[in-house]
Amino acid sequence: MQRSLHLSHPPEQGHPSDVLPLIEDILNEMAEAEEWPITLTMRANLILEELVLNTLTHGDTSGLTKIDLELESQDHALTIRLSDDGSPFNPLTDAPAPDVTLPLADRPIGGLGVYLVKTMGEELEYRRENDRNHLKLVVHPE
Amino acid sequence: MEFSHDRSGDTLVVNASGRVDGSNASDFLESLQGMFDPGDQRIILDLGGLEYISSAGLRVLLMAAQNLDKQNKSFSICSLTEAVGDVFRISGFDQIINVFPSVEDAKQG
Repeated sequence: MQRSLHLSHPPEQGHPSDVLPLIEDILNEMAEAEEWPITLTMRANLILEELVLNTLTHGDTSGLTKIDLELESQDHALTIRLSDDGSPFNPLTDAPAPDVTLPLADRPIGGLGVYLVKTMGEELEYRRENDRNHLKLVVHPE
Repeated sequence: MEFSHDRSGDTLVVNASGRVDGSNASDFLESLQGMFDPGDQRIILDLGGLEYISSAGLRVLLMAAQNLDKQNKSFSICSLTEAVGDVFRISGFDQIINVFPSVEDAKQG
């Protein structure tokens, strides 16, 4: 099953998180049609939220970033292809990894989002081409 | 998100249900902090009705846990659903916050 979604968010119109219900709806539709395990729906939603909000809030300075999202699922594995025209950002190398073994008092508040994407996503590939970021990853239920 | 709470002696049990994401995480933090009383020594957060949490929601839990820890108060989380438990495990949150199967277990823990 394949679905695509085109997202953009003019900064003068509300908060970038306004696009989140669109992501939730499309995932729920796929999850219902293909009887996804609940952990797959959760992981896919979390990964897409982190990537999309990251791009819409940090990815660009000129104002309007456009994101193209392609979702393809088969046998409870979801392949995500995301491309955007924001500034170059490779989540594989451009974000510091948080130390998730630190005790409570020393845990930094930020940096978790990209870590979760890298941990929950497999077969991650990034390339910068024609002034666009292209990211591919595969999500499994466990 | 929806909240309810139940106070018994110095123990506060907060129920949070629904979804917590980048759109409402700051409301989640405000609601949580608004429920704490200075006299509460033990806070149990029941997430049995929580369907979804992203890193924005995890950040709120981390801030709450760190604040309560600084005040030498006990903080625990209970009744995680399978999907939220999966996120807790991967983020390592189950190593830094006490997680119990049920409210009763949390009260005894």
